[in-house]
Amino acid sequence: MRLTQTSFVFRRVLKSLKELFWTHILTSGTMAMTLFIFGGFLLIQENLHGLLRGWGSQVQVFVYLEKELAPEELDQLLKQVRSYPDVERVRYVSKTEAWEKFKQTLGAQAGVLEGLKADILPASLEIALKGPHRTRAAAEALAQRLRGLRGVGEVEYPEEWVEKLGLLVLGIQWAKWVLGGFLFVATLLIVGSTVRLAFLARRDEIEIMQLVGAPAGLIKAPFVIEGMIQGVAGASVALFGLWLFFLFLHDRIPASFGVFAPGGGLHFLDLQGSVVLVLLGWAMGTGGSLFSLRQFLKRWSG
Amino acid sequence: MVRLFRVSKIYPPNYAALADIHLQIEKGEFVFLNGPSGAGKTTLLRLLFREEEATEGQIIVNGRNITRLNGGAVARLRQELGLVFQEFKLLPTLTALENVALAAEVVGTPRREGRKKAFHLLRELGLKDKHDCKPPALSGGEQQRVAIARALVNDPILVLADEPTGNLDAEMAEETMRLFLRIHEQGTTVVIATHDTGLLQRFSHRVVYLQRGRLVGDSKPADGERSA
Ligand SMILES: Nc1ncnc2c1ncn2[C@@H]1O[C@H](COP(=O)(O)OP(=O)(O)OP(=O)(O)O)[C@@H](O)[C@H]1O
Ligand SMILES: [Mg+2]
Repeated sequence: MRLTQTSFVFRRVLKSLKELFWTHILTSGTMAMTLFIFGGFLLIQENLHGLLRGWGSQVQVFVYLEKELAPEELDQLLKQVRSYPDVERVRYVSKTEAWEKFKQTLGAQAGVLEGLKADILPASLEIALKGPHRTRAAAEALAQRLRGLRGVGEVEYPEEWVEKLGLLVLGIQWAKWVLGGFLFVATLLIVGSTVRLAFLARRDEIEIMQLVGAPAGLIKAPFVIEGMIQGVAGASVALFGLWLFFLFLHDRIPASFGVFAPGGGLHFLDLQGSVVLVLLGWAMGTGGSLFSLRQFLKRWSG
Repeated sequence: MVRLFRVSKIYPPNYAALADIHLQIEKGEFVFLNGPSGAGKTTLLRLLFREEEATEGQIIVNGRNITRLNGGAVARLRQELGLVFQEFKLLPTLTALENVALAAEVVGTPRREGRKKAFHLLRELGLKDKHDCKPPALSGGEQQRVAIARALVNDPILVLADEPTGNLDAEMAEETMRLFLRIHEQGTTVVIATHDTGLLQRFSHRVVYLQRGRLVGDSKPADGERSA
Protein backbone atom coordinates (compact mmCIF):
# COMPACT_ATOMS: atom_id res chain seq x y z
CA MET A 1 0.00 0.00 0.00
CA ARG A 2 1.29 3.41 -0.92
CA LEU A 3 2.14 6.06 1.64
CA THR A 4 -0.88 8.23 0.71
CA GLN A 5 -3.12 5.29 1.28
CA THR A 6 -1.55 4.47 4.60
CA SER A 7 -2.20 7.97 5.82
CA PHE A 8 -5.70 7.76 4.39
CA VAL A 9 -6.37 4.57 6.32
CA PHE A 10 -5.12 6.04 9.57
CA ARG A 11 -7.21 9.15 9.20
CA ARG A 12 -10.24 6.89 8.65
CA VAL A 13 -9.40 4.89 11.75
CA LEU A 14 -9.03 7.99 13.92
CA LYS A 15 -12.28 9.37 12.61
CA SER A 16 -14.13 6.17 13.34
CA LEU A 17 -12.63 5.83 16.81
CA LYS A 18 -13.86 9.32 17.49
CA GLU A 19 -17.30 9.01 15.94
CA LEU A 20 -18.13 5.58 17.33
CA PHE A 21 -16.22 6.09 20.54
CA TRP A 22 -18.62 4.30 22.90
CA THR A 23 -19.20 1.42 20.57
CA HIS A 24 -15.49 0.84 20.40
CA ILE A 25 -15.15 1.17 24.16
CA LEU A 26 -17.89 -1.38 24.72
CA THR A 27 -16.32 -3.81 22.32
CA SER A 28 -12.87 -3.53 23.84
CA GLY A 29 -14.51 -3.87 27.23
CA THR A 30 -16.18 -7.10 26.18
CA MET A 31 -12.91 -8.40 24.86
CA ALA A 32 -11.19 -7.37 28.06
CA MET A 33 -13.80 -9.29 30.05
CA THR A 34 -13.32 -12.45 28.01
CA LEU A 35 -9.58 -12.22 28.18
CA PHE A 36 -9.73 -11.47 31.89
CA ILE A 37 -11.64 -14.65 32.57
CA PHE A 38 -9.40 -16.65 30.31
CA GLY A 39 -6.32 -15.07 31.83
CA GLY A 40 -7.67 -15.72 35.33
CA PHE A 41 -7.83 -19.40 34.59
CA LEU A 42 -4.37 -19.23 33.13
CA LEU A 43 -3.12 -17.52 36.27
CA ILE A 44 -4.65 -20.10 38.60
CA GLN A 45 -3.49 -22.95 36.45
CA GLU A 46 0.06 -21.69 36.33
CA ASN A 47 0.19 -21.15 40.06
CA LEU A 48 -1.16 -24.59 40.84
CA HIS A 49 1.29 -25.94 38.36
CA GLY A 50 4.10 -24.15 40.14
CA LEU A 51 2.81 -25.55 43.40
CA LEU A 52 2.89 -29.05 42.01
CA ARG A 53 6.35 -28.59 40.63
CA GLY A 54 7.50 -27.24 43.95
CA TRP A 55 6.09 -30.18 45.84
CA GLY A 56 7.36 -32.60 43.30
CA SER A 57 10.91 -31.39 43.62
CA GLN A 58 10.89 -30.88 47.36
CA VAL A 59 9.90 -33.10 50.18
CA GLN A 60 8.38 -36.25 48.98
CA VAL A 61 8.52 -38.46 52.04
CA PHE A 62 8.11 -37.36 55.64
CA VAL A 63 9.54 -39.56 58.34
CA TYR A 64 8.35 -38.80 61.88
CA LEU A 65 10.69 -39.92 64.60
CA GLU A 66 9.38 -41.75 67.63
CA LYS A 67 11.41 -39.62 70.00
CA GLU A 68 14.19 -37.11 69.80
CA LEU A 69 17.27 -39.14 68.99
CA ALA A 70 20.70 -38.76 70.49
CA PRO A 71 23.18 -37.08 68.13
CA GLU A 72 25.02 -40.33 67.34
CA GLU A 73 21.79 -42.18 66.70
CA LEU A 74 20.59 -39.39 64.45
CA ASP A 75 23.88 -39.37 62.52
CA GLN A 76 23.55 -43.08 62.06
CA LEU A 77 20.02 -42.78 60.76
CA LEU A 78 20.85 -39.94 58.41
CA LYS A 79 23.84 -41.78 57.02
CA GLN A 80 21.72 -44.84 56.47
CA VAL A 81 18.98 -42.94 54.63
CA ARG A 82 21.46 -40.95 52.55
CA SER A 83 23.00 -44.16 51.36
CA TYR A 84 19.81 -45.20 49.57
CA PRO A 85 20.31 -44.77 45.81
CA ASP A 86 16.90 -43.16 45.26
CA VAL A 87 17.30 -40.46 47.88
CA GLU A 88 18.49 -37.07 46.77
CA ARG A 89 18.39 -35.05 49.93
CA VAL A 90 17.57 -35.50 53.59
CA ARG A 91 16.83 -32.74 56.01
CA TYR A 92 16.39 -33.10 59.71
CA VAL A 93 13.68 -31.03 61.37
CA SER A 94 14.04 -30.90 65.13
CA LYS A 95 11.12 -30.57 67.53
CA THR A 96 11.94 -26.91 68.12
CA GLU A 97 12.19 -26.20 64.43
CA ALA A 98 8.88 -27.93 63.79
CA TRP A 99 7.31 -25.86 66.53
CA GLU A 100 8.70 -22.60 65.17
CA LYS A 101 7.55 -23.42 61.69
CA PHE A 102 4.09 -24.27 62.93
CA LYS A 103 3.87 -21.02 64.84
CA GLN A 104 4.91 -19.13 61.75
CA THR A 105 2.29 -20.91 59.72
CA LEU A 106 -0.42 -19.82 62.09
CA GLY A 107 0.90 -16.28 61.97
CA ALA A 108 -1.46 -13.97 63.83
CA GLN A 109 -3.38 -16.89 65.20
CA ALA A 110 -0.32 -18.27 66.98
CA GLY A 111 -1.96 -17.27 70.23
CA VAL A 112 -4.01 -20.46 70.25
CA LEU A 113 -0.80 -22.34 70.98
CA GLU A 114 -0.34 -20.61 74.27
CA GLY A 115 -0.06 -23.05 77.10
CA LEU A 116 1.02 -25.92 74.89
CA LYS A 117 4.42 -27.42 75.35
CA ALA A 118 6.94 -26.61 72.68
CA ASP A 119 7.89 -30.26 72.19
CA ILE A 120 4.44 -31.46 71.27
CA LEU A 121 5.38 -31.87 67.61
CA PRO A 122 7.61 -34.76 66.62
CA ALA A 123 11.01 -34.32 65.04
CA SER A 124 11.12 -35.50 61.45
CA LEU A 125 13.16 -36.12 58.35
CA GLU A 126 12.18 -34.53 55.05
CA ILE A 127 13.37 -36.70 52.23
CA ALA A 128 13.53 -35.68 48.57
CA LEU A 129 13.65 -38.39 45.93
CA LYS A 130 15.89 -38.33 42.91
CA GLY A 131 14.21 -37.27 39.69
CA PRO A 132 13.45 -40.67 38.16
CA HIS A 133 12.15 -41.98 41.49
CA ARG A 134 9.51 -39.32 42.02
CA THR A 135 6.65 -41.71 41.54
CA ARG A 136 4.09 -43.08 43.84
CA ALA A 137 5.50 -46.61 43.61
CA ALA A 138 9.04 -45.49 44.39
CA ALA A 139 7.83 -43.39 47.34
CA GLU A 140 5.88 -46.37 48.66
CA ALA A 141 8.90 -48.67 48.30
CA LEU A 142 11.08 -46.20 50.15
CA ALA A 143 8.45 -45.80 52.84
CA GLN A 144 8.49 -49.57 53.38
CA ARG A 145 12.24 -49.58 53.86
CA LEU A 146 12.10 -46.58 56.19
CA ARG A 147 9.42 -48.11 58.37
CA GLY A 148 11.83 -50.94 59.14
CA LEU A 149 14.44 -48.58 60.59
CA ARG A 150 14.98 -48.03 64.28
CA GLY A 151 13.53 -44.91 65.79
CA VAL A 152 11.15 -44.29 62.89
CA GLY A 153 7.53 -43.74 63.70
CA GLU A 154 5.12 -42.84 60.96
CA VAL A 155 6.09 -42.41 57.32
CA GLU A 156 3.97 -40.27 54.99
CA TYR A 157 4.23 -39.18 51.43
CA PRO A 158 1.91 -36.58 49.88
CA GLU A 159 1.80 -38.34 46.54
CA GLU A 160 -1.95 -38.78 46.72
CA TRP A 161 -2.36 -35.11 47.30
CA VAL A 162 -0.16 -34.29 44.42
CA GLU A 163 -2.22 -36.56 42.25
CA LYS A 164 -5.45 -34.94 43.30
CA LEU A 165 -4.03 -31.51 42.70
CA GLY A 166 -2.84 -32.71 39.32
CA LEU A 167 -6.42 -33.60 38.49
CA LEU A 168 -7.59 -30.16 39.58
CA VAL A 169 -5.03 -28.52 37.34
CA LEU A 170 -6.19 -30.67 34.47
CA GLY A 171 -9.78 -29.68 35.20
CA ILE A 172 -8.86 -26.00 35.16
CA GLN A 173 -6.97 -26.49 31.95
CA TRP A 174 -10.09 -27.88 30.33
CA ALA A 175 -12.44 -25.37 31.86
CA LYS A 176 -10.18 -22.65 30.53
CA TRP A 177 -10.56 -23.87 26.98
CA VAL A 178 -14.24 -24.72 27.16
CA LEU A 179 -15.35 -21.53 28.88
CA GLY A 180 -12.70 -19.54 27.04
CA GLY A 181 -13.85 -20.95 23.71
CA PHE A 182 -17.44 -20.14 24.49
CA LEU A 183 -16.62 -16.56 25.45
CA PHE A 184 -14.34 -16.31 22.45
CA VAL A 185 -17.19 -17.09 20.07
CA ALA A 186 -19.51 -14.67 21.88
CA THR A 187 -16.87 -11.98 21.65
CA LEU A 188 -16.35 -12.58 17.96
CA LEU A 189 -20.06 -12.00 17.46
CA ILE A 190 -19.87 -8.74 19.37
CA VAL A 191 -16.85 -7.62 17.40
CA GLY A 192 -18.82 -8.55 14.31
CA SER A 193 -21.70 -6.32 15.28
CA THR A 194 -19.34 -3.43 15.98
CA VAL A 195 -17.86 -3.79 12.54
CA ARG A 196 -21.39 -3.90 11.23
CA LEU A 197 -22.18 -0.60 12.95
CA ALA A 198 -18.97 0.99 11.75
CA PHE A 199 -19.71 -0.37 8.32
CA LEU A 200 -23.24 0.97 8.20
CA ALA A 201 -22.05 4.34 9.45
CA ARG A 202 -19.74 4.49 6.47
CA ARG A 203 -21.85 2.69 3.92
CA ASP A 204 -22.22 5.65 1.56
CA GLU A 205 -18.56 6.39 1.71
CA ILE A 206 -17.70 2.77 0.99
CA GLU A 207 -20.10 2.67 -1.92
CA ILE A 208 -18.46 5.73 -3.42
CA MET A 209 -15.00 4.39 -2.80
CA GLN A 210 -15.97 1.24 -4.65
CA LEU A 211 -17.50 3.18 -7.52
CA VAL A 212 -14.36 5.21 -8.09
CA GLY A 213 -12.18 2.10 -8.02
CA ALA A 214 -10.61 2.08 -4.56
CA PRO A 215 -8.81 -1.21 -3.98
CA ALA A 216 -10.65 -3.59 -1.67
CA GLY A 217 -7.69 -3.62 0.71
CA LEU A 218 -8.01 0.11 1.24
CA ILE A 219 -11.67 -0.26 2.07
CA LYS A 220 -11.13 -3.12 4.49
CA ALA A 221 -7.95 -1.92 6.17
CA PRO A 222 -9.53 0.66 8.51
CA PHE A 223 -11.97 -1.91 9.88
CA VAL A 224 -9.27 -4.49 10.40
CA ILE A 225 -7.01 -1.98 12.13
CA GLU A 226 -9.85 -0.85 14.35
CA GLY A 227 -10.42 -4.47 15.33
CA MET A 228 -6.74 -4.89 16.07
CA ILE A 229 -6.67 -1.78 18.23
CA GLN A 230 -9.75 -2.94 20.12
CA GLY A 231 -8.27 -6.36 20.66
CA VAL A 232 -4.92 -5.17 21.90
CA ALA A 233 -6.53 -2.48 24.06
CA GLY A 234 -8.91 -5.07 25.50
CA ALA A 235 -6.04 -7.44 26.21
CA SER A 236 -4.05 -4.69 27.93
CA VAL A 237 -7.00 -3.81 30.13
CA ALA A 238 -7.45 -7.50 30.92
CA LEU A 239 -3.79 -7.83 31.84
CA PHE A 240 -4.02 -4.80 34.06
CA GLY A 241 -7.17 -6.19 35.68
CA LEU A 242 -5.44 -9.50 36.25
CA TRP A 243 -2.54 -7.72 37.86
CA LEU A 244 -4.91 -5.97 40.26
CA PHE A 245 -6.66 -9.28 40.91
CA PHE A 246 -3.29 -10.84 41.56
CA LEU A 247 -2.27 -8.13 43.99
CA PHE A 248 -5.58 -8.52 45.77
CA LEU A 249 -5.04 -12.25 46.21
CA HIS A 250 -1.43 -11.78 47.09
CA ASP A 251 -2.28 -9.48 49.99
CA ARG A 252 -5.04 -11.70 51.24
CA ILE A 253 -3.47 -15.11 51.12
CA PRO A 254 -1.54 -15.66 54.35
CA ALA A 255 2.19 -15.97 54.26
CA SER A 256 1.72 -19.51 55.50
CA PHE A 257 0.78 -20.35 51.92
CA GLY A 258 4.50 -20.32 51.29
CA VAL A 259 4.81 -23.49 53.30
CA PHE A 260 2.67 -25.28 50.79
CA ALA A 261 4.25 -23.57 47.82
CA PRO A 262 7.97 -23.98 48.10
CA GLY A 263 8.31 -22.04 44.85
CA GLY A 264 7.74 -18.88 46.86
CA GLY A 265 4.02 -18.24 46.91
CA LEU A 266 1.84 -16.73 44.19
CA HIS A 267 3.35 -15.45 41.01
CA PHE A 268 1.88 -13.50 38.10
CA LEU A 269 1.61 -14.67 34.49
CA ASP A 270 5.03 -14.98 32.94
CA LEU A 271 6.00 -13.13 29.78
CA GLN A 272 4.79 -15.97 27.63
CA GLY A 273 1.36 -16.01 29.25
CA SER A 274 1.01 -12.26 28.87
CA VAL A 275 2.05 -12.39 25.24
CA VAL A 276 -0.44 -15.18 24.62
CA LEU A 277 -3.18 -13.03 26.10
CA VAL A 278 -2.30 -10.00 23.97
CA LEU A 279 -2.03 -12.15 20.86
CA LEU A 280 -5.44 -13.62 21.61
CA GLY A 281 -6.90 -10.13 21.83
CA TRP A 282 -5.22 -9.17 18.61
CA ALA A 283 -6.51 -12.29 16.89
CA MET A 284 -10.04 -11.78 18.18
CA GLY A 285 -10.16 -8.19 16.95
CA THR A 286 -8.62 -8.87 13.59
CA GLY A 287 -10.44 -12.14 13.05
CA GLY A 288 -13.80 -10.68 14.04
CA SER A 289 -13.36 -7.78 11.62
CA LEU A 290 -12.21 -9.91 8.72
CA PHE A 291 -14.96 -12.40 9.29
CA SER A 292 -17.78 -9.88 9.29
CA LEU A 293 -16.26 -7.87 6.44
CA ARG A 294 -16.40 -10.99 4.33
CA GLN A 295 -20.11 -11.12 4.93
CA PHE A 296 -20.73 -7.46 4.16
CA LEU A 297 -18.47 -7.13 1.18
CA LYS A 298 -19.85 -10.22 -0.50
CA ARG A 299 -22.64 -8.06 -1.84
CA TRP A 300 -20.21 -5.73 -3.49
CA SER A 301 -18.40 -6.55 -6.66
CA GLY A 302 -15.54 -4.14 -5.96
CA MET B 1 -13.74 1.75 -26.68
CA VAL B 2 -16.87 -0.25 -25.80
CA ARG B 3 -18.10 -3.42 -27.44
CA LEU B 4 -21.04 -5.55 -26.44
CA PHE B 5 -21.44 -8.86 -28.15
CA ARG B 6 -24.73 -10.75 -27.76
CA VAL B 7 -25.13 -9.45 -24.25
CA SER B 8 -28.09 -10.52 -22.12
CA LYS B 9 -28.90 -9.70 -18.56
CA ILE B 10 -31.45 -11.80 -16.77
CA TYR B 11 -32.46 -10.76 -13.26
CA PRO B 12 -33.62 -13.56 -11.05
CA PRO B 13 -35.91 -15.35 -11.31
CA ASN B 14 -36.03 -14.86 -15.06
CA TYR B 15 -36.63 -11.26 -16.01
CA ALA B 16 -34.69 -10.35 -19.12
CA ALA B 17 -33.65 -6.71 -18.56
CA LEU B 18 -31.40 -6.87 -21.62
CA ALA B 19 -31.55 -9.33 -24.47
CA ASP B 20 -29.06 -10.02 -27.19
CA ILE B 21 -27.46 -6.57 -27.33
CA HIS B 22 -24.86 -5.79 -29.99
CA LEU B 23 -23.26 -2.42 -29.60
CA GLN B 24 -20.04 -0.72 -30.52
CA ILE B 25 -18.92 2.68 -29.27
CA GLU B 26 -15.74 4.20 -30.64
CA LYS B 27 -13.16 6.19 -28.77
CA GLY B 28 -14.19 9.83 -28.55
CA GLU B 29 -17.86 9.26 -29.30
CA PHE B 30 -20.77 10.94 -27.53
CA VAL B 31 -23.71 8.59 -27.15
CA PHE B 32 -27.16 8.94 -25.66
CA LEU B 33 -28.84 5.81 -24.34
CA ASN B 34 -32.53 6.42 -24.70
CA GLY B 35 -35.74 4.52 -24.18
CA PRO B 36 -38.81 4.40 -21.96
CA SER B 37 -38.67 3.64 -18.29
CA GLY B 38 -37.69 0.05 -17.65
CA ALA B 39 -36.07 -0.31 -21.07
CA GLY B 40 -32.73 -1.35 -19.57
CA LYS B 41 -30.63 1.82 -19.83
CA THR B 42 -29.44 1.70 -16.25
CA THR B 43 -28.82 -2.01 -16.50
CA LEU B 44 -26.62 -1.49 -19.55
CA LEU B 45 -24.52 1.13 -17.77
CA ARG B 46 -24.23 -1.06 -14.68
CA LEU B 47 -22.86 -3.82 -16.85
CA LEU B 48 -20.23 -1.41 -18.20
CA PHE B 49 -18.91 -0.43 -14.79
CA ARG B 50 -19.35 -3.95 -13.57
CA GLU B 51 -21.88 -3.38 -10.86
CA GLU B 52 -23.68 -6.23 -12.57
CA GLU B 53 -22.35 -9.20 -14.47
CA ALA B 54 -23.74 -10.08 -17.88
CA THR B 55 -25.70 -13.29 -17.91
CA GLU B 56 -24.57 -14.01 -21.44
CA GLY B 57 -22.31 -12.49 -24.06
CA GLN B 58 -19.02 -10.61 -23.96
CA ILE B 59 -18.29 -7.02 -23.02
CA ILE B 60 -15.08 -5.25 -23.93
CA VAL B 61 -14.23 -1.91 -22.32
CA ASN B 62 -11.06 -0.14 -23.34
CA GLY B 63 -9.62 -3.29 -24.86
CA ARG B 64 -10.33 -5.39 -21.80
CA ASN B 65 -12.85 -8.17 -21.61
CA ILE B 66 -14.79 -7.41 -18.45
CA THR B 67 -17.08 -10.39 -18.59
CA ARG B 68 -15.09 -12.19 -15.94
CA LEU B 69 -13.16 -10.04 -13.50
CA ASN B 70 -12.01 -10.48 -9.94
CA GLY B 71 -12.41 -7.72 -7.36
CA GLY B 72 -9.03 -6.12 -8.01
CA ALA B 73 -9.64 -5.96 -11.75
CA VAL B 74 -13.07 -4.36 -11.18
CA ALA B 75 -11.36 -1.65 -9.13
CA ARG B 76 -8.81 -1.05 -11.89
CA LEU B 77 -11.56 -0.89 -14.50
CA ARG B 78 -13.41 1.72 -12.48
CA GLN B 79 -10.31 3.83 -12.08
CA GLU B 80 -10.50 4.38 -15.84
CA LEU B 81 -14.16 5.39 -15.71
CA GLY B 82 -15.98 8.48 -14.54
CA LEU B 83 -19.44 7.80 -13.14
CA VAL B 84 -22.27 10.29 -12.70
CA PHE B 85 -25.66 9.48 -11.20
CA GLN B 86 -29.06 11.04 -11.05
CA GLU B 87 -28.91 11.29 -7.26
CA PHE B 88 -25.33 12.69 -7.27
CA LYS B 89 -24.07 10.30 -4.59
CA LEU B 90 -22.10 12.95 -2.74
CA LEU B 91 -21.10 12.58 0.91
CA PRO B 92 -23.07 15.19 2.86
CA THR B 93 -20.49 15.50 5.63
CA LEU B 94 -17.63 16.40 3.31
CA THR B 95 -17.15 19.69 1.52
CA ALA B 96 -17.34 19.88 -2.26
CA LEU B 97 -13.58 19.90 -2.43
CA GLU B 98 -13.23 16.92 -0.10
CA ASN B 99 -15.82 14.98 -2.06
CA VAL B 100 -13.81 15.40 -5.23
CA ALA B 101 -10.41 14.91 -3.59
CA LEU B 102 -11.54 11.70 -1.89
CA ALA B 103 -11.95 10.01 -5.25
CA ALA B 104 -8.41 10.96 -6.20
CA GLU B 105 -6.92 9.93 -2.91
CA VAL B 106 -8.43 6.45 -2.69
CA VAL B 107 -6.87 5.46 -5.99
CA GLY B 108 -3.44 6.54 -4.78
CA THR B 109 -3.07 10.19 -5.73
CA PRO B 110 -1.09 12.03 -3.06
CA ARG B 111 -3.42 14.01 -0.84
CA ARG B 112 -2.10 17.45 -1.78
CA GLU B 113 -2.10 16.69 -5.45
CA GLY B 114 -5.65 15.35 -5.25
CA ARG B 115 -6.85 18.48 -3.50
CA LYS B 116 -5.12 20.69 -6.03
CA LYS B 117 -6.71 18.83 -8.88
CA ALA B 118 -10.11 18.98 -7.22
CA PHE B 119 -9.70 22.69 -6.67
CA HIS B 120 -8.92 23.34 -10.34
CA LEU B 121 -11.74 21.15 -11.57
CA LEU B 122 -14.29 22.84 -9.34
CA ARG B 123 -13.13 26.22 -10.57
CA GLU B 124 -13.38 25.07 -14.13
CA LEU B 125 -16.95 23.90 -13.53
CA GLY B 126 -17.92 27.28 -12.13
CA LEU B 127 -17.84 26.40 -8.44
CA LYS B 128 -14.98 28.67 -7.53
CA ASP B 129 -16.66 30.06 -4.42
CA LYS B 130 -18.33 26.85 -3.38
CA HIS B 131 -15.60 24.35 -2.72
CA ASP B 132 -15.90 24.72 1.04
CA CYS B 133 -19.66 24.17 0.97
CA LYS B 134 -21.15 20.86 1.92
CA PRO B 135 -23.64 19.32 -0.53
CA PRO B 136 -26.78 20.16 1.48
CA ALA B 137 -25.87 23.83 1.06
CA LEU B 138 -25.63 23.52 -2.71
CA SER B 139 -28.33 23.63 -5.37
CA GLY B 140 -29.07 20.51 -7.39
CA GLY B 141 -27.18 21.81 -10.38
CA GLU B 142 -24.18 22.69 -8.23
CA GLN B 143 -24.23 19.29 -6.58
CA GLN B 144 -24.27 17.61 -9.95
CA ARG B 145 -21.31 19.70 -11.04
CA VAL B 146 -19.42 18.56 -7.95
CA ALA B 147 -20.29 14.99 -8.88
CA ILE B 148 -19.05 15.60 -12.41
CA ALA B 149 -15.82 17.05 -11.05
CA ARG B 150 -15.42 13.91 -9.00
CA ALA B 151 -16.00 11.78 -12.09
CA LEU B 152 -13.28 13.70 -13.92
CA VAL B 153 -10.67 13.88 -11.19
CA ASN B 154 -8.97 10.62 -12.14
CA ASP B 155 -8.81 11.55 -15.86
CA PRO B 156 -11.25 8.91 -17.10
CA ILE B 157 -11.21 7.71 -20.67
CA LEU B 158 -14.88 6.88 -20.51
CA VAL B 159 -17.60 8.83 -18.70
CA LEU B 160 -20.85 7.03 -17.92
CA ALA B 161 -23.80 9.10 -16.70
CA ASP B 162 -27.17 7.72 -15.64
CA GLU B 163 -29.91 10.34 -15.89
CA PRO B 164 -27.52 13.09 -14.85
CA THR B 165 -30.19 15.72 -15.42
CA GLY B 166 -33.05 13.76 -13.88
CA ASN B 167 -33.12 15.85 -10.73
CA LEU B 168 -32.49 19.20 -12.38
CA ASP B 169 -34.77 21.85 -13.85
CA ALA B 170 -34.66 22.51 -17.59
CA GLU B 171 -32.11 25.28 -17.36
CA MET B 172 -29.71 23.37 -15.10
CA ALA B 173 -30.19 20.28 -17.24
CA GLU B 174 -29.16 22.17 -20.33
CA GLU B 175 -26.12 23.60 -18.61
CA THR B 176 -25.08 20.23 -17.26
CA MET B 177 -25.41 18.74 -20.72
CA ARG B 178 -23.09 21.43 -22.07
CA LEU B 179 -20.54 20.35 -19.49
CA PHE B 180 -20.63 16.83 -20.85
CA LEU B 181 -20.17 18.18 -24.34
CA ARG B 182 -17.10 20.08 -23.19
CA ILE B 183 -15.71 16.92 -21.65
CA HIS B 184 -16.38 15.16 -24.92
CA GLU B 185 -14.61 17.86 -26.87
CA GLN B 186 -11.50 17.22 -24.82
CA GLY B 187 -11.45 13.71 -26.24
CA THR B 188 -13.26 11.72 -23.58
CA THR B 189 -15.81 9.14 -24.62
CA VAL B 190 -19.19 9.93 -23.05
CA VAL B 191 -22.25 7.73 -22.66
CA ILE B 192 -25.37 9.28 -21.14
CA ALA B 193 -28.54 7.40 -20.30
CA THR B 194 -31.64 9.58 -20.34
CA HIS B 195 -35.30 9.30 -21.14
CA ASP B 196 -35.54 13.03 -21.75
CA THR B 197 -36.17 13.13 -25.50
CA GLY B 198 -36.23 16.90 -25.49
CA LEU B 199 -32.55 16.96 -24.60
CA LEU B 200 -31.70 14.56 -27.39
CA GLN B 201 -33.30 16.79 -29.93
CA ARG B 202 -31.41 19.86 -28.79
CA PHE B 203 -28.09 18.04 -28.76
CA SER B 204 -28.10 15.95 -31.85
CA HIS B 205 -25.69 13.14 -31.24
CA ARG B 206 -25.73 9.42 -31.67
CA VAL B 207 -28.76 7.91 -29.93
CA VAL B 208 -28.99 4.25 -29.03
CA TYR B 209 -32.60 3.41 -28.40
CA LEU B 210 -33.62 0.58 -26.09
CA GLN B 211 -37.06 -0.87 -25.61
CA ARG B 212 -37.91 -3.71 -23.26
CA GLY B 213 -34.33 -4.80 -23.11
CA ARG B 214 -33.76 -4.81 -26.83
CA LEU B 215 -31.74 -2.44 -28.97
CA VAL B 216 -34.31 -1.13 -31.39
CA GLY B 217 -32.67 1.97 -32.83
CA ASP B 218 -29.23 3.45 -33.41
CA SER B 219 -29.15 6.82 -35.15
CA LYS B 220 -25.91 8.52 -35.97
CA PRO B 221 -26.60 12.04 -37.20
CA ALA B 222 -24.61 13.23 -40.18
CA ASP B 223 -21.78 15.62 -39.28
CA GLY B 224 -23.65 18.60 -40.63
CA GLU B 225 -26.58 18.11 -38.29
CA ARG B 226 -24.49 18.06 -35.17
CA SER B 227 -24.79 20.94 -32.83
CA ALA B 228 -22.61 21.55 -29.86
N1 LIG C 1 -31.77 -5.66 -9.37
C1 LIG C 1 -32.83 -5.95 -10.12
N2 LIG C 1 -33.55 -7.07 -9.91
C2 LIG C 1 -34.61 -7.36 -10.66
N3 LIG C 1 -35.04 -6.62 -11.68
C3 LIG C 1 -34.38 -5.50 -11.95
C4 LIG C 1 -33.23 -5.09 -11.19
N4 LIG C 1 -32.78 -3.92 -11.68
C5 LIG C 1 -33.59 -3.61 -12.72
N5 LIG C 1 -34.56 -4.55 -12.87
C6 LIG C 1 -35.58 -4.55 -13.89
O1 LIG C 1 -34.96 -4.47 -15.15
C7 LIG C 1 -35.69 -3.63 -15.99
C8 LIG C 1 -34.78 -2.58 -16.58
O2 LIG C 1 -34.43 -1.70 -15.54
P1 LIG C 1 -33.51 -0.43 -15.76
O3 LIG C 1 -33.29 0.19 -14.45
O4 LIG C 1 -32.30 -0.86 -16.54
O5 LIG C 1 -34.41 0.47 -16.66
P2 LIG C 1 -34.15 1.95 -17.16
O6 LIG C 1 -34.20 1.92 -18.62
O7 LIG C 1 -32.96 2.50 -16.52
O8 LIG C 1 -35.43 2.68 -16.59
P3 LIG C 1 -35.60 4.19 -16.06
O9 LIG C 1 -35.70 5.06 -17.26
O10 LIG C 1 -36.87 4.17 -15.30
O11 LIG C 1 -34.41 4.49 -15.20
C9 LIG C 1 -36.82 -3.03 -15.19
O12 LIG C 1 -38.02 -3.70 -15.53
C10 LIG C 1 -36.45 -3.32 -13.77
O13 LIG C 1 -37.59 -3.60 -13.02
MG1 LIG D 1 -32.56 4.00 -15.12
